[in-house]
Amino acid sequence: MGCTSAKTVAPEESSTKSEKVIRSAILIQKWYRRYMARLEMRRRCTWNIFQSIEYSGEQNQLKLYNFFADMLKQMKPDRTGQPKILRALSDNNRRPINCDVRTLEAEDAGLLLLSNPNDIEVGSHYNGMHLTFPLNQSQLQDLIQSFKTKKLLHAKYLLQLLHETRTLLKQKSNINRATISISKQITVCGDLHGKLDDLYMVFHKNGLPSVDNPYIFNGDFVDRGTNSVEISVILFACFLLNPNEVYINRGNHEDHIMNIRYGFVKEVNKKYSVYANGILRLFEDLFSWLPLATIIDDKVLVVHGGLSDTIDLDLISQLDRHKFLSTLHPSRSFDDENVTEVELMEWKQVLDLLWSDPRVQDGCLPNTFRGGGSYFGPDVTTMILDKYNLQRLIRSHECKVEGYEYTHNDKVLTIFSASNYYEVGSNKGAYLKLTGPDLSCHIVQYMVNKHSTKRKITFTKRISQVEKIAMRDLKRKILGCQSELITHFKSCDPENTGTISVIEWCNVLEGVMEMELPWRTMRPHLAKCDPSGAVLYNTSFSDMKLYHGSTESGHSITELLYRNKDSLETIFRIFDKDNSGTISMEEFEEALSVMINTQDISISHDQIIDIAHSLDLNKDGFIDFNEFLEAFRIVDPYGKDESKCMMSGDSETDSVGSDESERNTPSRKVDELKTRKISKLCDIQESEISEA
Amino acid sequence: MPYFVILINRFHLATEINNMAGADEQKENTDSLLADIQKRITDAFDIFDNENNKTVDVREVGTIIRSLGCCPSETELHDMLAEIEEEEPTGYIRFEKFLPMMTKVLMERRYKPLPEDQLLKAFQVLDHDNKGHLTQEDLAKYMSEDGEPFQQEEMEEMLSAAVDPEKGCILYKEYVSRMTIEEV
Repeated sequence: MGCTSAKTVAPEESSTKSEKVIRSAILIQKWYRRYMARLEMRRRCTWNIFQSIEYSGEQNQLKLYNFFADMLKQMKPDRTGQPKILRALSDNNRRPINCDVRTLEAEDAGLLLLSNPNDIEVGSHYNGMHLTFPLNQSQLQDLIQSFKTKKLLHAKYLLQLLHETRTLLKQKSNINRATISISKQITVCGDLHGKLDDLYMVFHKNGLPSVDNPYIFNGDFVDRGTNSVEISVILFACFLLNPNEVYINRGNHEDHIMNIRYGFVKEVNKKYSVYANGILRLFEDLFSWLPLATIIDDKVLVVHGGLSDTIDLDLISQLDRHKFLSTLHPSRSFDDENVTEVELMEWKQVLDLLWSDPRVQDGCLPNTFRGGGSYFGPDVTTMILDKYNLQRLIRSHECKVEGYEYTHNDKVLTIFSASNYYEVGSNKGAYLKLTGPDLSCHIVQYMVNKHSTKRKITFTKRISQVEKIAMRDLKRKILGCQSELITHFKSCDPENTGTISVIEWCNVLEGVMEMELPWRTMRPHLAKCDPSGAVLYNTSFSDMKLYHGSTESGHSITELLYRNKDSLETIFRIFDKDNSGTISMEEFEEALSVMINTQDISISHDQIIDIAHSLDLNKDGFIDFNEFLEAFRIVDPYGKDESKCMMSGDSETDSVGSDESERNTPSRKVDELKTRKISKLCDIQESEISEA
Repeated sequence: MPYFVILINRFHLATEINNMAGADEQKENTDSLLADIQKRITDAFDIFDNENNKTVDVREVGTIIRSLGCCPSETELHDMLAEIEEEEPTGYIRFEKFLPMMTKVLMERRYKPLPEDQLLKAFQVLDHDNKGHLTQEDLAKYMSEDGEPFQQEEMEEMLSAAVDPEKGCILYKEYVSRMTIEEV
């Protein structure tokens, strides 16, 4: 390097030239790093929106549930005078009112009565897989293939498989003990949430479970996605084939009460119509037999949520896990007075294992963000791991951008296996391989890309796309609070100028929406400003209006219904015990009053009756609640873009009838006619949100 | 008192009042600017405050500063961090230290980004032969060898967005204008 003195370039010139290059390089680097920082900021904002929406849903669910629990507590066993919802709910939880001794045998018999596969014939039109038990490896492979072509497994086989799985699960202890002494490695898979493509991706990269290839599935394989049934079938088939190499931990979504809100109940209803009830009951019971945790070679604890400072693994290994049909309540009965201290303690253990999240600071607090479980600090992790002589905690439960995240000095590893969880491009999925005698961690990331094999899109584009969806979701939430927001905006604007300051705008949104978001940073996406920098607050609604296809009630009531759509759906489904999709007028009225009571909002009884009557289109006294829930429309009065708009935001499940003959039953035809009538009603007002 | 003295006094008084009014207005402007800037800083900080306890990871402070529109070099950033870090570094930066430092930086308009044409000029300097484009190898070499080098991941990300998919090289003029538009 130093011996180039022979060169004739004047040293001065060369140094200025290279200095110039360096200065230019720095300039570009500085600018590029700022550009990336801004992108990162946008990504964070987007993430905050998705997470806030998700967790506020979880909070509502618990609020609703606690509300029922409180009501039930006040009610005495005199069941005749009870509101219908309470009877429905306690039946749903099979309150052991008439049987003093709950025996497992009696329970098995009862369950079989509800879900006996032998009562079901496989029709000649059925074109899916035929299963014979015991299963073999080639049947598993055929199952995987048949689900790829969107074929449904017949109700008969599904029930058989669930019964087999349940019997085997019952023999397992609360804490699985896994070892890698033979296989030398083991794979841990986190939340899958009904996303079959992600499971297939894992199997594609990592192979099917076998004696040499053990797997731990760490809970939350159902809900949210559209293939919870198929994922369950494949996981259970793997488990039946390799009962000592496949470990399935329970997650907080392996719980009927969660399934009511988060889609699994809806999916089963759609796919199995008349058989749905039996299938759901069996799933509900099976979930309560899932082990709560797995320990690998006495070194690594794998659990869905996490820990708390009171976690006692000895207590956990002794309790009766089957007692917790739902983890949201301490016992099967709602008779809180008879819940003992011990029962409460056991319940807290289970709740903490399934619902907790780690936090960065020391200490342990109730998890108020989610509404259940604990936040545990690094000191809690160290204490519990040391107490049981463990090295590491592997947990899932939280979506992470990279599909995994280390915290607590690398002692806690979060692993999340559903890619594109919030939206296409929002996050990677990952699974974990533990190898060698010291169980070292190797993470494999992936992102399922269903639609295109195109060139990888850039970070920038991906963020813009995901951001757009997040803003759309947020705008819909805002629209649900329009009346209340306008009232508050106006109170900041006594002179009726149509403008308020940015700070006022942010305060109103934060107060009314009850979401702590960087409103100021997002403001340009949500509302316009005048040249002086004041917010033209009416632009917060982008000239959009919310309608309901079949009620003619006032705006604020439509908004109220829209805002609480998910909670209402939950209540409807609790009423709808036979899973028919319809409820009586009386039940509908009661559902609305329950919802209103939890919300601390006043609506007159007459208004409720009006809504109920306007929905009963064929005047038979029954209301199709799916129809009701799907009739919300967001309308742009200027009709910029007239196309259909799916309000629910979830993609439609492919409805494949298990048997052709089932699809054309008379009742179904009536339903179709009714739907057509309703959609005609809606067509007039249908229109796509314009994403200005 | 002679009349003209009174006049002059009045004149002085008037100017003084005038000046005072001006100062008030200016002060008001500064106050609202200050409030605005502090709100922006708080918002940006909160987005990275994962634990909701008014601290952020020291590794993310650079992102916060840059997302607020500043363009410091790595060295400058390092100096800023040194100013606000705890005496015994904890790996976290506290809001109460970050806010005054950042307020000062933004009020004084330090580390302002250069206009688009300066950025373009910088690319032109790297394009010795005035071809109007840079090859991937050229850009990668300059960015990861000169100045304050990019890590490999940073470099790959930059190239993935900068390289023209058809020509396979960096048409920097187009790239610069595309990137500056996207930011708005």
